Amino acid sequence: MKERIGVYICHCGGNISDYVDVEKVRQAVEHETGVAMARTTVFACSDANQNDMVEDIRTHNLDGVIVASCSPKLHLTTFRNVTERGELNKYTYVHTNIREQASWAHSDDKEGATDKAIRLVKAAIAKSRYAEPLHPNLFEAEKTIAVIGAGIAGMKAAASLADKQTEVLLIEKEHRVGGHTATWGPLAMSEESGSALTERIYNDLLRRENVTIMNGTEVISSKGSIGNFTLKVRKRPLKEGDPVETAEFTVGSVVVATGFDSYQPKEGEFGFAQSDNVITLPDFRHLIDHAEGKELIYNGKKIRNIAYIYCVGSRQTNGENSYCSRFCCTSAIHASILAKKRFGKINNYHLNRGIRTYGKQELLYAESLALGDLYLQWAEETPPAVVTEGKKTTITLRDILSANRDLELEADLVVLVTGMVPRADNKVGTLFKLPKGRDRFFNEVHMKLRPVETVIDGVTIAGSCQGPKNISESVNSALSAATKSYSLISKGTLETEPIVAEVNSDLCSWCGKCAEACPFDAILQQEVGGKMVAVVNNSVCKGCGMCAPVCPPDAINLINYSSEEIMSMIDALA
Amino acid sequence: MASKINPRFAEELKQYGSVNFNACYNCGNCTAVCSLSTPEQSFPREMVRLSALGLEDELKQSLKPWECYYCGECTTQCPQTANPGELMMSLRRWLTAQYDWTGLSGLLYRSLSFTIAALLLVAAGVLLFARSTGFDAERLIHVGHLFEMLAIGTVFLVIFVPNLLRMWYFTIVKQKVRVPLKSYFSALPELFVNMFTQKRAKDCDEDDNFRWLEHMVLVFAYLSLLFTTVFLNWFGSEHLFVILLGYLESLLVFVITIHFVSGRIKRNKSLNKFSQPSDWLFVIWLLLMGLSAFLVRLFIDLQLLENNIWMHILHLTVLAQWALIIVPFGKWTHFLYRSFAHYFVKIKTMQEA
Repeated sequence: MKERIGVYICHCGGNISDYVDVEKVRQAVEHETGVAMARTTVFACSDANQNDMVEDIRTHNLDGVIVASCSPKLHLTTFRNVTERGELNKYTYVHTNIREQASWAHSDDKEGATDKAIRLVKAAIAKSRYAEPLHPNLFEAEKTIAVIGAGIAGMKAAASLADKQTEVLLIEKEHRVGGHTATWGPLAMSEESGSALTERIYNDLLRRENVTIMNGTEVISSKGSIGNFTLKVRKRPLKEGDPVETAEFTVGSVVVATGFDSYQPKEGEFGFAQSDNVITLPDFRHLIDHAEGKELIYNGKKIRNIAYIYCVGSRQTNGENSYCSRFCCTSAIHASILAKKRFGKINNYHLNRGIRTYGKQELLYAESLALGDLYLQWAEETPPAVVTEGKKTTITLRDILSANRDLELEADLVVLVTGMVPRADNKVGTLFKLPKGRDRFFNEVHMKLRPVETVIDGVTIAGSCQGPKNISESVNSALSAATKSYSLISKGTLETEPIVAEVNSDLCSWCGKCAEACPFDAILQQEVGGKMVAVVNNSVCKGCGMCAPVCPPDAINLINYSSEEIMSMIDALA
Repeated sequence: MASKINPRFAEELKQYGSVNFNACYNCGNCTAVCSLSTPEQSFPREMVRLSALGLEDELKQSLKPWECYYCGECTTQCPQTANPGELMMSLRRWLTAQYDWTGLSGLLYRSLSFTIAALLLVAAGVLLFARSTGFDAERLIHVGHLFEMLAIGTVFLVIFVPNLLRMWYFTIVKQKVRVPLKSYFSALPELFVNMFTQKRAKDCDEDDNFRWLEHMVLVFAYLSLLFTTVFLNWFGSEHLFVILLGYLESLLVFVITIHFVSGRIKRNKSLNKFSQPSDWLFVIWLLLMGLSAFLVRLFIDLQLLENNIWMHILHLTVLAQWALIIVPFGKWTHFLYRSFAHYFVKIKTMQEA
């Protein structure tokens, strides 16, 4: 039971004090049992106040600290650290939110807001009385790292990890490595071919002793959590009759780099699958990368006029792909330049919805304009109409850039500039329970601040499995994910939050309800003292509390949120 | 009806002097800075766009290239150095070729060697004729005078009238402009005001009235020199007033054209950065016309001409090349087409009103 609690009530500039009478709150709580001192402060999070708090803990010999301010999402960690600097256990710190929950929510009722703030602070005091000192859970972490997917992102991630002197398993489902990139000819802005580029990285990986490349291998199950994932893999037989081999590896963290699928147009989408003259951008890349001679021949026909229809399967207002695929404008323009330079007398028509050759790629757009390519722009509501009669394909469209004139052109070949979609095969995502965004690609924790981490500790994402990326962007994210994955386990030991669920084995008789409720697979069935009970894996449990209320005999307690603490808070609020 | 795109048109336009207009990425800066642009009428991006798409019929029916006086603001502001101003210039050349029923304009614009051959041919004709007269000065002056009158009449009837009718057909009839006949009369002031004052040019480039002024003085000097030589028979006249008038006019012509030529050499404005052979030919021959006429009359007054008949043959050659090549098929025609374009635009607005 704490007896010397310090309470800080924050003005938050005026965010709180404009509606909540902070002085009244202070007076209302300063004589509560266990409160040694209560203060108001203009900005609790300011350096000056933090230093004052550390000083107060010493001079007033405090044993508990409460700050009534903003959301704990913003400053819980800040004040836990202040408490630690004052040489108290940081888990005894109690945070209460009187900004979002009182001043902002009740800006129309200052008295009510103040009254609510008083109750919230009193509840915090009640909790603080029972707050126990806690210590992070420590356990050993395996220093091997698995990279799943050996496309350009996966291979670069593996190479980067190998530099850090850690063991790397590079697991690739296909029998060959290099992913999409390995199938491409000259790349935009570099001229090196995709196959040469991936080959170069592959040869570099082969020379490294700490990289194990497992191609033709699938991950079929994953158990455990950060620091200790057990991956079961299966070697896919090269030909029928080959034995199916399986193996198990333990790794500390995982980089997922499973890549993308190309959007496959629906039948009839801009004439796709109905006319031989309509192909996708990957088909066109393949065509020009493998063409021989000085003429571009497709289906035995000389190609002179090529129409590129952009944003096919991307930027759909009503379809499921509302995102921009980023790489396709550049890729289509680059391919059109390659075609024009290699084969004589090609006319390129770019039927776009606004060209997005951002950054240096703008140079390609300029080059294409200089070569005399024609750019026509259509709106989503009036898509180009592709009509094939006999061998002749005619496209009509309403061109925004010519004051909505209806224009017509003849094309020998129509290239649908298709974007990226998530892999149809989501086995890896399912194994690790990776969450997906609205675009159905894997989702990071925070787009800007934690761009390669997932909510699954120890699993990072790299390359286009996270969303459309070009090669540079994929490699950027791969190097970032590799470093993050390594940093998670580089110490060899891991710390996790001590706020987890604990099961009272005496009361538990395994019904499985808690395991069903757990979103993290942290509850396992185990034999303890001759009976089956539920056991919590501390390294996986996030302390979300989903299991506690579903337990019929009330055998589960959430550390830091004990029934004692919660009940006393409710009493204070009432 | 959807209009059919023709990307090959850009190649054709290049022969008329267009520079890099493909680089346009349709930002619209040119339209924003153009003093001709209104919410209803877009300059000059619309023309750039139609040219890129190769919509020849629409271009042929447009009067917009003639409304532009090449202040060069669009070219200065273009982030892609697509030179929209120069595109408008090349469209004027292209339109001149479209209006010309003989097709010679197009040939002269597109082919420098054809132009040189034509100039040489005319020069040879003059020399042959001079030889047939036995290089007799008096007879040469007399025939030169007759030639001038004949040439003016013929070029007007055989070339200009049909070409202006074609221009009218493309821009008024094809555009389905229907106005009562009296509109053609009430719009006439627009024709003459623009023909003789280039009023619109003054509005285009507010900062530089000097260029407009010297161009207008040149027009008046040239036209009155023509009048003085043809109808007042300057070379044969004994009236002091006529003689002095001719001196003044020819002096103005060659002094102003020297200034224009030096501007084209220095390339000190957007409008003279990309001179085509047709531009050089026009200013240089105008200069030579003024200068040689001035010298011929000077030689007459100093009584040197009898012994320096080559001076007059030179003048006659320049005159013949001017009257047979540059006036009917060359840049001279912008004098007519521009003013008629303003006239037709006025007529069109009458229909809309």
